[in-house]
Amino acid sequence: MGRGPGEEGKEKFERREHDEYDDGKKKKRRRSEPDDDDEEEELEEESEYRVGKRRAKRSSALQFFDMEAEVDDEEEDQDDEEADDDFIEDGGVDILDKDDGRQTHYHPLLNFEDHEEEDFEALERRFQERYSKRDEECDEEPTEVEQQALLPSIRDPKLWRVICVNGRERDVALCLMKRYIDKGSHLQIRSAVALDHIKNCIYVEADKEAYVREACKGLHNINAKHISLVPLKEMTAVLSVKPKAVHLYRGAWVRMKKGLYKGDLAKVVGVDNVRRKVAVKLFPQNDLQALANKLDDRGVSKKDDFYSALRSKDGFLLKEVSSSSVNAHCIQPTFDELENFLHTDQIGDADMAILCSLSINEKKGKYFKGDRVIVVKGDLKNLKGWVDKVEEDNIYIKPDAEYHLESIAVSNKELCKYFEPGNHVKIIAGAAEGTTGFVVSLEGHVVNIVSDTSKQLLHVFADNVVEFSEVKTGVNRIGDYEVHNLVLLDDMSFGVIIHIDNETFQVLKGVPGKPVVAMVRPREIRCKLDRIKCGTKDQLNCPLSVNDPVKVVDGQWRGKTGRIVYIYRGYLFIHDPLRPEHAGFMCAKSQSCILVAGVSQATTNRNGEDPNCDYSQQRSYRGYSSMNAGGRYRSAREHDALVGAFIKIRKGVYKGHKGRVKEIKGKTVQVELEAQMRVVPVSLDKITDNMNVSMPSWQASRFGLGSETPVHPSQTPLHPCMAPVTDRVHVGMMAMHDTTWNSSPRMAVAAGLPINWGF
Amino acid sequence: MFFHIVLERNMQLHPRHFGRDLRDKLVSKLMKDVEGTCSGRHGFIVAITGIESVGKGLIRDGTGFVTFPVKYQCVVFRPFKGEILEAVVSMVNKMGFFAEAGPVQIFVSNHLIPDDMEFQSGDVPNYTTSDGSVKIQKDSEVRLKIIGTRVDATEIFCIGTIKDDFLGVISDPGATS
Repeated sequence: MGRGPGEEGKEKFERREHDEYDDGKKKKRRRSEPDDDDEEEELEEESEYRVGKRRAKRSSALQFFDMEAEVDDEEEDQDDEEADDDFIEDGGVDILDKDDGRQTHYHPLLNFEDHEEEDFEALERRFQERYSKRDEECDEEPTEVEQQALLPSIRDPKLWRVICVNGRERDVALCLMKRYIDKGSHLQIRSAVALDHIKNCIYVEADKEAYVREACKGLHNINAKHISLVPLKEMTAVLSVKPKAVHLYRGAWVRMKKGLYKGDLAKVVGVDNVRRKVAVKLFPQNDLQALANKLDDRGVSKKDDFYSALRSKDGFLLKEVSSSSVNAHCIQPTFDELENFLHTDQIGDADMAILCSLSINEKKGKYFKGDRVIVVKGDLKNLKGWVDKVEEDNIYIKPDAEYHLESIAVSNKELCKYFEPGNHVKIIAGAAEGTTGFVVSLEGHVVNIVSDTSKQLLHVFADNVVEFSEVKTGVNRIGDYEVHNLVLLDDMSFGVIIHIDNETFQVLKGVPGKPVVAMVRPREIRCKLDRIKCGTKDQLNCPLSVNDPVKVVDGQWRGKTGRIVYIYRGYLFIHDPLRPEHAGFMCAKSQSCILVAGVSQATTNRNGEDPNCDYSQQRSYRGYSSMNAGGRYRSAREHDALVGAFIKIRKGVYKGHKGRVKEIKGKTVQVELEAQMRVVPVSLDKITDNMNVSMPSWQASRFGLGSETPVHPSQTPLHPCMAPVTDRVHVGMMAMHDTTWNSSPRMAVAAGLPINWGF
Repeated sequence: MFFHIVLERNMQLHPRHFGRDLRDKLVSKLMKDVEGTCSGRHGFIVAITGIESVGKGLIRDGTGFVTFPVKYQCVVFRPFKGEILEAVVSMVNKMGFFAEAGPVQIFVSNHLIPDDMEFQSGDVPNYTTSDGSVKIQKDSEVRLKIIGTRVDATEIFCIGTIKDDFLGVISDPGATS
């Protein structure tokens, strides 16, 4: 009775699923099943006594639960003796106080108990029939089409989800069964299922919702108002048996599912199948404060005991947990987690390979045609080649030309992506997803990459990396905001965007002296402050403007140099492309900086000049010097003719350089070198001023300022220093150098130091 | 590697420069525009060495600007993969060191520094061999091999290695001073 075609289909479907999950093992067991029969019969007999005679009346009703019961049956089959233990346990512990039907539910084989008179031979025959039939069914590989045909269709009875009281799922199902027995065919539902892993509801199979309501009427554990239809697509999912948990073994990697260590990676160090416990080794991440509090309660004397109880000798936490609280699927360890374990040299190469494959085995299509790969396992180890074709688990690779081999098939697991140091790659998964960089070295499955933007070293699994020619920082902009923009935040604080993650900005806040990085969402940004062009003054009262090179003389960044990118409210955002932290940005008060001419002190030292020369003086070449250096100008009036003059250096390190005199201090002159963007002090007797071109000072300042004012009121088209006709291209080139530098100081700074191109 | 090549560029010139020294203006503007720039194909344009030809100017409607096609000879610098360069160390940190060869910045990761060289932090961060005979610090000159290049619109960035025969320090400022 009552078993619609759809249901039967489901049953087969499930059974096949089983087969897929534990292929060979199970078949073997089936073959030995006739031997087991005796055992099962004994069990039957045992239950028979308990069940009593009402059984006969109920035979038809039992079929009602056949489907689920068979599932149980199968599970037991799989679980060897252990499952038998379970059976006894279940039967013994909670069944006796329930009604008899419950047992039936547990033991499908009772189906046949209604024939109490029948002798054992007959029973045995039935078993043989039953199982041999099943064998036939299972032996033939079901094709996909056949599987499809078994799926419930729109014509089949529907599955309804009925909410019931938590914990009473089974009772409700049994009540429905009883009701069926009492009312017989008046009850128009086809089946009722309570699933162990689904709480709070049962599933009823019926053609119409009204039938379900009718059947549920009066059952006090059911909330008949909440009956919902299970969509056709989900019907199979409801009744599919979940894949058996991966067998836990010593050395397996798992993730904790609950507790303090939820989500942490752990290594199994022992398995107790009987007690369903596993001992795992974790990297302890205790909240030390909580621990301390705990210890205070217990008294200090126990502290040592407590720790020794907690930790094993290599710094890991050994913990015994129930096997249900660990997850062996979808481990996907991050690199940092592995590193913790790596440090103790617990992970061999093989382990690494396993872990790496764990980290990606959930993903499809890890290799693509044209990928460079290396074989990491088996006879062909260290063979390099290109992916030729990808099939499910087999990858066809074309080995390098030197091997003279045709394309060969290699298992997915034996391969690893391969990169040469120097390859430009992109990270496609993990924490640094989207970043590009150069491969600098390989360590088995791990690739070390230098990020293009931050110049940081990243450790990434080779499988998470693809070769890539463009430069990407991941996301470069969200909405209007780009990396390196100065932005005003909602709380009126401000900062420079130094990095963009998915949907969040990292903003280096405008807090002088120390780096404060805030994670900010786009909506927390009020506006971009890129148009603000205000000046400020440095410690020595020299006016500063954007793009000026400065040196920080106070605070944490003391001694650092860089170029001003933004000036806002008296704070400077200074960029030093050589600094990897915070994308090279630092924030300082303008009062704690002084202007330099783009020379770091160390460079000056090397070149043997006076290291104590006042950088603020060098500033004078920009024509601002009159403000605080005016006095000196007057005192050195006799040399005024020389100031602004074009000179050539005769001796010393700068021999041969040409430049313009910026200032004279006693016996030394500050010379702005033509070829380099800097001012150097040179002794007065080391220069020749026979260049015969003395430039008016306004013109000097015009030079210094670059081409900001293209139309000068009194500009003469004939440029004094471009006059020589014989070599005009060359001299012209020289003359334009300073403007070149000033017009593109960014480049000069980007390249790091003043560039001497040696002509 | 340095190359001496001929490039072409269209120069726009403001009408106020028209006159006797138009050519000079054009040349100086060209120098200002292109020297120190970087292109992916040619690398850094280091210096203009001469003007090959200046084509006929084309007057733009409305603005009065004139466009001249200018062919010029220039020295360009382009680093190549596998090229061996001598460079000056500009920064040393625990991840490796940065070195400069003219306008090109080269990063040598600590993975690409011989294994016997250890990072020593301190006042002058450096990489030193265990016996202290070789030291890489700021301003050291090193010979390195480029293993990867990345060319942007404005800069060329390279990854180099000194983990090979005949590579490494060629002059040590610490030793000489």
